[in-house]
Amino acid sequence: MLRGLLASLLLAGACADVAVKDDQGRTVSLKQPAQRIISLAPHLTEHLYAIGAGSRIVGATNYSDYPAAAKALPRVGGYNSFDLEKIRALKPDLIVAWPSGNPARQLEQIESLGIPVFYDEAQKLVQVPTVMERLGVLSGQEAGGKAAAAEFRSRLAKLEARYAGKKPVRMFYQVWDRPLMTINREQIISDVMHLCGAENVFANLPSLVPTVDEEAVITANPALIATSGEASNKVNWLDRWRRWPRLAATARQQLYILPPDLLSRMGPRLVDGAEALCQVVEQARQ
Amino acid sequence: MKHHAPLSRRRLLLTLASLLLLTAILLCASLCLGSTAYRPWQLWNDGPDALLARDVVLSLRLPRSLAALAVGGLLALAGLLQQILLRNPLAEPYVLGTSGGASVGALTALLLGAGSVLVSLAAGGGALATTLLVFALARNDHSSQQARLLLTGIALASFASALSSLLLSLAPEGLLRGMIYWMLGDLSGAHWPAAAAALLALLVLLWPWSRDLNLMSHGREAAHALGSHTLRLQWLLYFCSAAATAVAVTTAGMIGFVGLIVPHALRLLLGQDIRLLLPASALGGGCVLLAADIGSRIILAPQQLPVGVVTSLAGVPVFLWLLQQRGGRR
Repeated sequence: MLRGLLASLLLAGACADVAVKDDQGRTVSLKQPAQRIISLAPHLTEHLYAIGAGSRIVGATNYSDYPAAAKALPRVGGYNSFDLEKIRALKPDLIVAWPSGNPARQLEQIESLGIPVFYDEAQKLVQVPTVMERLGVLSGQEAGGKAAAAEFRSRLAKLEARYAGKKPVRMFYQVWDRPLMTINREQIISDVMHLCGAENVFANLPSLVPTVDEEAVITANPALIATSGEASNKVNWLDRWRRWPRLAATARQQLYILPPDLLSRMGPRLVDGAEALCQVVEQARQ
Repeated sequence: MKHHAPLSRRRLLLTLASLLLLTAILLCASLCLGSTAYRPWQLWNDGPDALLARDVVLSLRLPRSLAALAVGGLLALAGLLQQILLRNPLAEPYVLGTSGGASVGALTALLLGAGSVLVSLAAGGGALATTLLVFALARNDHSSQQARLLLTGIALASFASALSSLLLSLAPEGLLRGMIYWMLGDLSGAHWPAAAAALLALLVLLWPWSRDLNLMSHGREAAHALGSHTLRLQWLLYFCSAAATAVAVTTAGMIGFVGLIVPHALRLLLGQDIRLLLPASALGGGCVLLAADIGSRIILAPQQLPVGVVTSLAGVPVFLWLLQQRGGRR
């Protein structure tokens, strides 16, 4: 009797659904933790590795290049046009998607094939660790998810404690060179700037990634200009500002190239990007 | 111009039967080819792979192939109608700005927050307005080359593309993504039943008029024989070509040059008879777009190419060659 009860309890435990709410408010529930995951964005691949579910990834989109092991994953196309047939053939039991980048129609088709989809639509820094926790639940790496999230949060908290209330630094973040593009207050990098005590000079523009002209940057007169990328490729991007000696950032030599992919991916390394950005903001503050 | 046998019922049926056969062959190829090695006959196997093959063949490849057939047919039909209307073999919805007009209409509707029915209607309105504008601006161009007509169309096409860019930069963040994906268009996940129904309806609507259309395409004098019919017929052509373009654009985005290549190739092969060209264009257009789609799926797999890239790569050289031919025939 007792043994039967125990057995049924154990069985119930083994068959229990795992379920989480995704960022579109829908409940994603799986009969068992996902064994075969496909990631549709580089930062989601990084998330999965960070929580210890890297071995369960069976496919990923192009540019999934971190950590190094991700380079060997089977490819399913680009994040904005992937091969549905290839995806179906890899027999995934979970797809982690990025609706800001993935085409809606193709995602609808994946859903119509009956494959569970988790949508990551983190818009703020504080939402990033919750994605790790939820992916941890779905992939049976709850502890890994919690640990990665806790580390992310504690590093953010340290930055906040250190830089909150410091003198604000007016900053221009250069997303692209030609055309000259930046970000507004809604973009997650503005969130990082806020954390470091920097103030985005173009925070109030209406579009998320606005194109601006050189004149507007010079008028705004930022004390710090930063961009991200391989230093050797991006050095020209900052050279254009050296022609304007009276620009505050140029006059005080506060032009920086931050390491690639840290700030542009909403993954676990965003906190590394935050640390790098806070450091240059602090230098500009001196 | 080569001489072709006059159209008999037998020739009509034979031609259509061979085009249907070609369509069937391409459809089979499209169901068999893809980035994975699944084939339709695995549907009848036992085992776990049957389910997978079923999804790949029936849920992914089949709807996409049917959408390509319907949209290609609509585009070729729109091209043929515009060529009759403007009596210029270079007329084509993409070149003349009809597709662009449909885009502007639909993007405006999306920007105002309209639902999908209104978006389709707005696309139709935009397409109709552009066609009428081209005709109104270039109607007095009696030169044999009709250069003004083409230039007007090309100017309108650039104007429409500039308007689209303007609408996209005005769009708030929440709507922008939807609008961009609408513009890009895609055969995967396209809703084929509506497109196929529209193609059939337009063919049924036009078929009774095909003799009159023959007269019309033979030139101004011949068309005078139609008398008061002419105006009604012109409106029918405006309406049908705009509707076909709008449905094609709302289903699969902007795809160029199918409306140019297909009717032209068919004229060379089959002669000028509209009774034959009408159904043949619908089938031939479907074949060309389906072939282009197969290419776009497998050339760089798993990366997918936009099908419009493939049709333009093949279509622009044909367009330029045609332009040369006309220049040389002075």
